[in-house]
Amino acid sequence: MWDQILQFLLTGITLGSTYALVALGFAIIYNASDVVNLAQGEFVMLGAMSAIALSAGQGLPLPLAILLAVLLTLVVGLMLQRFAIAPAKGITVVGTIIITIGASIFLRGLALLLWGKDIQALPHFSGETPLRWGDLTLLPQSLWVMGGTALLVLGVQLFFNRTLLGKAILACSCNKTAAQLVGINVGRMLLVAYGLSALLGAMAGVLVTPITYTSYDAGIMLGLKGFAAAVLGGMGNPMGAVAGGLLLGLLESLAAGLISSGYKDAIAFIILLLVLFLRPSGLFGRAVSERV
Amino acid sequence: MKRLRGWWLLVALLIALPLLFPGNYYVTVVGASALLHAILAVGLNLLMGYAGQISLGHAAFFGLGAYSSAILTTRYGVNPWLALGAGLVLAGGVAYLIARPVLRLKGHYLAMATLGFGIIVHILLVQTGGLTGGPDGIGGIPTLSLFGWAIDSDARWYGVLAATLLILVLGALNLMDSRSGRALGAIHGAEVAAGMMGIDTAAAKTAVFVLAALTAGLAGSLFAHQQAFVSPDSFNFFVSIELVTMVVLGGIASTWGAILGAVILTFLPELLVVFEDYEVLIFGAILMLIMIFLPQGIVGGLADLWARRQGAAAPTDPPKAGPAPRGLAPASDPVSQDAA
Amino acid sequence: MLLEASGLTKSFGGVTAIADLDFQVPAGLVYAVIGPNGAGKTTLFNLLSGIYRPDEGRLRFAGEDLGGRQPYQIARLGLARTFQNLQIFFNLSVLENVMVGAHARGCQGMVAALLRTPAMRREERQIRAWAWEALDFCGLGELAARPASALPYGALKRLEVARALAAQPRLLLMDEPAAGLNDTETLAMRDLIGRLRDQGITVLLVEHHMGLVMRVSDRILVLDYGSRLAEGTPAEIRANPQVIAAYLGGEVHYAVE
Repeated sequence: MWDQILQFLLTGITLGSTYALVALGFAIIYNASDVVNLAQGEFVMLGAMSAIALSAGQGLPLPLAILLAVLLTLVVGLMLQRFAIAPAKGITVVGTIIITIGASIFLRGLALLLWGKDIQALPHFSGETPLRWGDLTLLPQSLWVMGGTALLVLGVQLFFNRTLLGKAILACSCNKTAAQLVGINVGRMLLVAYGLSALLGAMAGVLVTPITYTSYDAGIMLGLKGFAAAVLGGMGNPMGAVAGGLLLGLLESLAAGLISSGYKDAIAFIILLLVLFLRPSGLFGRAVSERV
Repeated sequence: MKRLRGWWLLVALLIALPLLFPGNYYVTVVGASALLHAILAVGLNLLMGYAGQISLGHAAFFGLGAYSSAILTTRYGVNPWLALGAGLVLAGGVAYLIARPVLRLKGHYLAMATLGFGIIVHILLVQTGGLTGGPDGIGGIPTLSLFGWAIDSDARWYGVLAATLLILVLGALNLMDSRSGRALGAIHGAEVAAGMMGIDTAAAKTAVFVLAALTAGLAGSLFAHQQAFVSPDSFNFFVSIELVTMVVLGGIASTWGAILGAVILTFLPELLVVFEDYEVLIFGAILMLIMIFLPQGIVGGLADLWARRQGAAAPTDPPKAGPAPRGLAPASDPVSQDAA
Repeated sequence: MLLEASGLTKSFGGVTAIADLDFQVPAGLVYAVIGPNGAGKTTLFNLLSGIYRPDEGRLRFAGEDLGGRQPYQIARLGLARTFQNLQIFFNLSVLENVMVGAHARGCQGMVAALLRTPAMRREERQIRAWAWEALDFCGLGELAARPASALPYGALKRLEVARALAAQPRLLLMDEPAAGLNDTETLAMRDLIGRLRDQGITVLLVEHHMGLVMRVSDRILVLDYGSRLAEGTPAEIRANPQVIAAYLGGEVHYAVE
């Protein structure tokens, strides 16, 4: 029994790592521009699909294909900001949701056109022989996912805390006008934020696709899960989003293993609702109150 | 009566269309579908447009109504009208139960909670196969009949849906121009101040949430009887998003905008079919373009244009008679934002 | 006493905004609360109107204990307020804003509204009449049909008053009604406050404009760091050395005209 639960936990962390990266991308964009980017999951799909197309389709070596795929997705992220978000002035919360859903549908349509409806996979980075400890098994790819996520999260953390560019983005998210006054180019910072989010999404896609496979329509559910994870952690708290992602992955894996795989998403969302009912600003979010 | 001029126009239009184009596919089939969407959108607009509360899970109530009718009539042989009533009770009851905790949330948290609710209901519809038929759905749902007159043709369904929409629109217009309607507008505009005017904001939000859910439940039951078949795909996340888009596209907070949005989003896929493989891509692009260039929606955008053309009209002569346009305040508006 | 506070205390994360405050407001007066920024004036208003819960102490209004009541329940007891940061319903017209103010005087619900029953229409006419009364009282009659979002700042300040007035309150809390107004508008506001008192409405006023406060108030409460520094008539406050030293910094101007 305990072995089994431990196994679910391992699966959960692998799954949760992907959600964590998507949620982290969510939080970065939300912090920088107050936009809930529901196209976030499409970055994951695009990164994975283009890596597959470049490696299997064009015969490029896997590392090169991955690098190009991530860059390509990054460009898509920049274009999303530049051509869809930036021109929409004075837009409402609902408006941004519709724009990003529109972008999500557009990218899905594009993927359908380019790569068809088939479910596709990337090769495992270091073989498919599971590592074993007693009854416990772990795919080497899971280690890639966990390790890659840890490195990326650490990198993002350092980027925001140690680099001038990162601090400038944080300044924008705190107060756009003030940031502008001290000479920060807010427009460019927003581009960086979207690019960074796209990069995180693409990396998540490339890392996890050998295990989970992907298809043109895989993005939207991942985007919603990322949104859920970001809300769970408290919108606008990047490390909260990472924690929320891991938690969501664990919940799903435990629910799938102990209750039923058909209900795993439902259980994850029920717990999310319960958390919101008890803590309306998420687990690690600060309570906001209107000043009157 | 000036207040109901638009409503009478709608009555005339809905009667004239099938008379002018009898048996036309775009009137009685696509048109009927547009009417059903309009019922859903007008109902959702009560919640989103009037009261300013976002819901990304409205398709769930649509589904609860539809599946109540489907299950009760096919599995238990219940009279279709009773089944429809049960659908209303279920949709309204569930809405009442979740309204208070859900509507306590704001902004993105509210969006997430309603979205989550919609997904949970959809999963339940797929997973409880013994009851709902799972992903395959339920077929053979009997149609409704009115005083022995079976609603069994496209034209008749057009009539029933048109009548339902007209009654609903009348109710919505009445509500807008009332103490309760203004209370919802006040909650939309400045919730704290609304409380200070003696408005029980939680109760008002609950009431309008239930009202919107009842409308969706009714639409669901009608849909089930009209189609004779239901499956979970008709009630998934994308349907919720489509409904929200209808409300926003036409021009939020306007009943006419909601109807217009429903008509456009129903006909758009019909027109895009010619683009075959590019259909999805173009649909996504259109969504983005409309929101970028008409953030106030079509009705709101036109009203703005109209107001600008009127220029500096006499101060006592506002560009629009009656209530001012109720748009969601833009994100840059400090009043609509929670300041830390 | 219309309003009584005893031992009122509220702190936010260790910072005490209101500390063990006692005061009483008799009916029929204009009662001003003054103090430097951060003295706890707006916090006091938010406590009185139920937006915040006090940590300690009691509030009694018109003989009722306000403890544990929601803002809307307090409003229905006859306590209305205006806001320092405008809380106008910008999505409604000016008239509709004021009609919302009369909400608590009506009783027709959503079902009656959907069916537009005769009783509902009767009440609607009554609410409209009340709203017009309040609009005219505040000199906004000509602007009634405008969207509230089209009004200049000065008119919005008066709209806040008209909206509160439509509730026919016994006590009206006014949070910096003159802030941001020019001299002419300030004079008009002073006149308006005076006429409110003549109508028998008790006014609790928070204001920085000393000229206005000294002219219009019957009694003044001076707050400093959330506690009571002094209380009395304008003349007493003006002469109070503690007030002059602590709050007015020795330099006092009462010019308004």
